[in-house]
Amino acid sequence: MSTVAITPSVLAPTPAHADLRQKIFQVSKLTLFYGVLTVVGIVFIVPYVFAVFGSLKPESSILTTPAWVPPTHPAWSNYPNAFISDPQVSTGFGRYMANTAIVTAALTTGQVFFSMLGAYGFARLKFPGRDAIFWVYLATLMVPNIVTIIPLYTEMHYFHMVNTYWGVFLPYALGTPYTIFLMRQFFLNIPQDVIEAARIDGAGDFRVLTRVVAPMSRPVLITAALIAFVFSWNNFLWPLVIMGSQSHYLLTDGLANFNSGPGAGGYLNLLLVGSVITLVPMLIIFIVFNKYIVRSIQLTSGK
Amino acid sequence: MALAAAEVAPAPQRVLRTGRARQKRSGLSEFLHALPFVGPSMVGVFLFLLVPVVFVIVLSFLTWSGAGPFTWAGVQNWVSIFKFDNAAHSLEVTAYYVLLNIPLQTVLALGLAVMLNRKRRGMAFFRVLYVAPYLSTPVAMALIWFWVFQPQSGAADRFLALFGIHGPAWLESSLWAMPVVAAVNIWQYLGFNMLFFYAGLQGIPTSLYEAAQLDGASKWRQFWRISLPLLNPTMLFVLITDVIGSFQVFDTLYVLTSGGPGTSTQVMSIQIYNVGFQGTRYGEAAALSVLLFGVILMFSIGQFLFFRNRTTYEYS
Repeated sequence: MSTVAITPSVLAPTPAHADLRQKIFQVSKLTLFYGVLTVVGIVFIVPYVFAVFGSLKPESSILTTPAWVPPTHPAWSNYPNAFISDPQVSTGFGRYMANTAIVTAALTTGQVFFSMLGAYGFARLKFPGRDAIFWVYLATLMVPNIVTIIPLYTEMHYFHMVNTYWGVFLPYALGTPYTIFLMRQFFLNIPQDVIEAARIDGAGDFRVLTRVVAPMSRPVLITAALIAFVFSWNNFLWPLVIMGSQSHYLLTDGLANFNSGPGAGGYLNLLLVGSVITLVPMLIIFIVFNKYIVRSIQLTSGK
Repeated sequence: MALAAAEVAPAPQRVLRTGRARQKRSGLSEFLHALPFVGPSMVGVFLFLLVPVVFVIVLSFLTWSGAGPFTWAGVQNWVSIFKFDNAAHSLEVTAYYVLLNIPLQTVLALGLAVMLNRKRRGMAFFRVLYVAPYLSTPVAMALIWFWVFQPQSGAADRFLALFGIHGPAWLESSLWAMPVVAAVNIWQYLGFNMLFFYAGLQGIPTSLYEAAQLDGASKWRQFWRISLPLLNPTMLFVLITDVIGSFQVFDTLYVLTSGGPGTSTQVMSIQIYNVGFQGTRYGEAAALSVLLFGVILMFSIGQFLFFRNRTTYEYS
């Protein structure tokens, strides 16, 4: 639609004049267009740059130099220091990172695997109450997370899962309605003859799922794994609530609590190291799986 | 492959049924057969979604301090959240945050989507750049912004100082704290919302714009008369998702202000956390949760009705 140029409403006296006018109009329009996009782009990229600069500054200069000035002598030792679990020198991000990795691995594996099983059941098996149960699943999508935090904590207290890894990931690791819904839509579109062929060869439902349906559904499985991974990595409120002791903190809890603790403002450079190491995996995932992420966002809106 | 899938799609269930008819399974054995597949998620949905939704309502009439037995409280929790905890104030603060957040976020996202919905160089690059914050851990980003908005020493005030402006104390000022929180959240989710609008705009056939152009309609007019009306379904989706999300805002707020200064940024979610996990008054926190749930439901239904009653256009 931009191929048709807009003609200025003022008619110029000579054609040559009009051409020049048109050209100036076009160039200034393009400059403005890219100018706006670039300024917005700078606002989007600047905090990441600040964080990398800040993470390499010594404690003494973090607040005395402007954030946009690169460190004069990069303090590379900030990175190892942030990982050490000695509260006198450091913030213990090594421990937090290990906790986050464990919880995220368990949550992602569980959520993808059990959602896949569930989606196969709802898409390909017939059993009494199937559609009613599926409607209940869909209805639970309406429940905001924050509303269930208090009762979920109470439940976990009685399951003796407070302050355990299980407590953090279990509520999200048995398959979630949203992921089951996504996968079910995909499984429904797999041609029946492919499945029948496998059945004739004597494959049971589990074999059909793992050997036929799953390999054909790679895009949706990758999308589901990404959703679970990003959710778990970024998750904050639930781990904050369920992990009482500091040795059990995830990266997000470690970051947030150092800030509001008694030494607020202290270790700011190490906290920025923490932010950078928390953000790097997300940015890598974002760049590598960009297509899948855009696709998953569009799936959400039903496009 | 894709074509074949699309053709078979409408009737897989029926094919399955006739294929299985010979085996004559009873309802119970069908259920037992399906159980290994749907069982785990049924347990999960029941224990971690359905039970909590019912239990939060029950708990709002009980007293529990985080350990020991539950005791019956009647409506006492409900009275005390308004009298003692001033829930009305938190509701106001939440509404203020939503009002700061939603209109600006929606307009900016739509504007960027319209700008990027062109066949020009670099559009894909800018699209990716704007969406990046969406995946970036909110707590980590909030910490960076917390540093940027430190009074005087932070990047924001230092930048203003370049122009001779003495910047405010941002997060320590009850006037500025909430706008800063809203701005940070807009920054985080702007690209995400832009993508929805972008997808919506891509779905509008270019023939409509070409026809309008022949009739002499300006770009501005085309936007109001073609793009905007046809984006109605997208708009409904974006607004409902954003409003529900904004009512629950927690991560950014917890890091930036923890509800302060005073209670000037204490939204419902922060209050639920404070009353429950800091004050160990879980009954009251449950009552606050139910209150928030009610408000969110009301808004979702209201928006749904508002947009449903507006004309949606069929085009092919």
